[in-house]
Amino acid sequence: MSMHTEPMIKMTDVDICFYIQEKGPVSLKEFTLNIGNYKLLQKSFVLKNVNIQINKGECFALLGKNGSGKSTLLRALSGIIIPEKGTIEIHGKVAPLLGLGVGLELELTGIENIKLLCALMGMNKAEIKKTLQDIIEFSELGEAINWQVKRYSSGMMSRLSFSIAIVKQPEILLIDEVLSVGDLGFQQKCLKKINEIKDNGATIVFVSHNFNEVLNMCSRAALVNNGTIEYIGTLEEVGEMYNKLFIA
Amino acid sequence: MHNKLIFNRGFQNAVLSLAVKTIKLRYKNSFLGLFWSMLNPLAFLLILIIVFKQINHIENFALYALSGLIFWNFLSASILQVITSFIDNASILKSINLNPLCFPLSAIVSAIFNLLLSLIPFFIIMFFLGYKLDISIITFIPFLLITAIFILGIGMLLGTINVFFRDIQLLWNTIIPAFFYFTPIAYTPELVPESQRYLLKLNPFYYFIESFHDIFYRSQFPSAQNIGISIILAIISITLGYYSFTKLKKGFISNI
Repeated sequence: MSMHTEPMIKMTDVDICFYIQEKGPVSLKEFTLNIGNYKLLQKSFVLKNVNIQINKGECFALLGKNGSGKSTLLRALSGIIIPEKGTIEIHGKVAPLLGLGVGLELELTGIENIKLLCALMGMNKAEIKKTLQDIIEFSELGEAINWQVKRYSSGMMSRLSFSIAIVKQPEILLIDEVLSVGDLGFQQKCLKKINEIKDNGATIVFVSHNFNEVLNMCSRAALVNNGTIEYIGTLEEVGEMYNKLFIA
Repeated sequence: MHNKLIFNRGFQNAVLSLAVKTIKLRYKNSFLGLFWSMLNPLAFLLILIIVFKQINHIENFALYALSGLIFWNFLSASILQVITSFIDNASILKSINLNPLCFPLSAIVSAIFNLLLSLIPFFIIMFFLGYKLDISIITFIPFLLITAIFILGIGMLLGTINVFFRDIQLLWNTIIPAFFYFTPIAYTPELVPESQRYLLKLNPFYYFIESFHDIFYRSQFPSAQNIGISIILAIISITLGYYSFTKLKKGFISNI
């Protein structure tokens, strides 16, 4: 049990803000007249006072309604959003899988997308060459790997995204609701792969707004509601609380 | 995370990969590829020769017009590409932890690549139009780098604001044709009465285009004054661009 107490992710008092134009489109006249005494961007809190610790080898679920801040939380964990306040400690290589087809360039072929995304994730040419075949094989896209991604079905896109994300043997895997679109065969394969990654000691954070098989792997979960973490507990407890949100 | 050194290998690799992507996308679905980058200046050249030759009593107006047009096209197009680079890559910005500086840098790299590629056939045309090869050509690459820094700065400044107010790219498309006539391309500065010539020099593009005229039309070294002012403009531009970017990048994800 000693490995379970080693924290991989630690969020302490984290606030995350969005900067939005609350007043809607500003006319040039209004803009120039009010320059200086007019705040163009309004700060709004998306997540407030988040404290989570996720340990090595753990599979952790974030449950919550649409728009509750789950995906923003994952973006913060992957370093895409910088918190306004508080600290996020990450101890390992992060592989984010943030939504279906996100980051894929529709005009490029599957292979070209793999090369581009691997480069953007920080791989060098030699590494990309080494992993290219593994990704293609895992995706089982066959001939379609040479098609432009705009011709892919949503299931094929999720195959591609998933295959790219997991190939690097991540130490921390962040998954945002991407597996629900693949066909049954591929879902099973992904589950097996996620289990394998988990067995290798990786930490997995999984975001969902409904129960499914992947969620069953999770031992602990957090309920995200209106930008706050309402409860952290076992999957059963959190699941029950989550269901209650819809009854009231 | 975002404060990674921008000069590390991974960052450079990302910039290059994005630039290659942009170049690939530009030519992917077109048969004539590179030809399109040349067609616009050549079409304008024809118009300028037909319409403006009468008022420009200079030797070899065609070469003057072509050398101005090539670099005017480069300036106006690449600035727009840098401006839109953040929103063009919204999906990558939202899904991969990458320093957003990658995007304007890759936009300028692909624009320079495109320019250099199109210069090969243009150079041949220039020879036909009477360009005389001169040692001053060695100033081209260093001066192009100064120009690139200027473009990058102004593009980053406007591109950052454009993330929040998409009017910027529309505004840019509206004013850039006006700037074309404000810059000596269709006419020489000498055509403007001396008492009003200072107006031309209020336009930052003047110093860049005139320097390219020096190199490719007059076959002489650009004047020290023009180079000096170009360098100052580049420094001001990149400072403003980088400052606005670092100030406002925290709002990118929520507005893109």
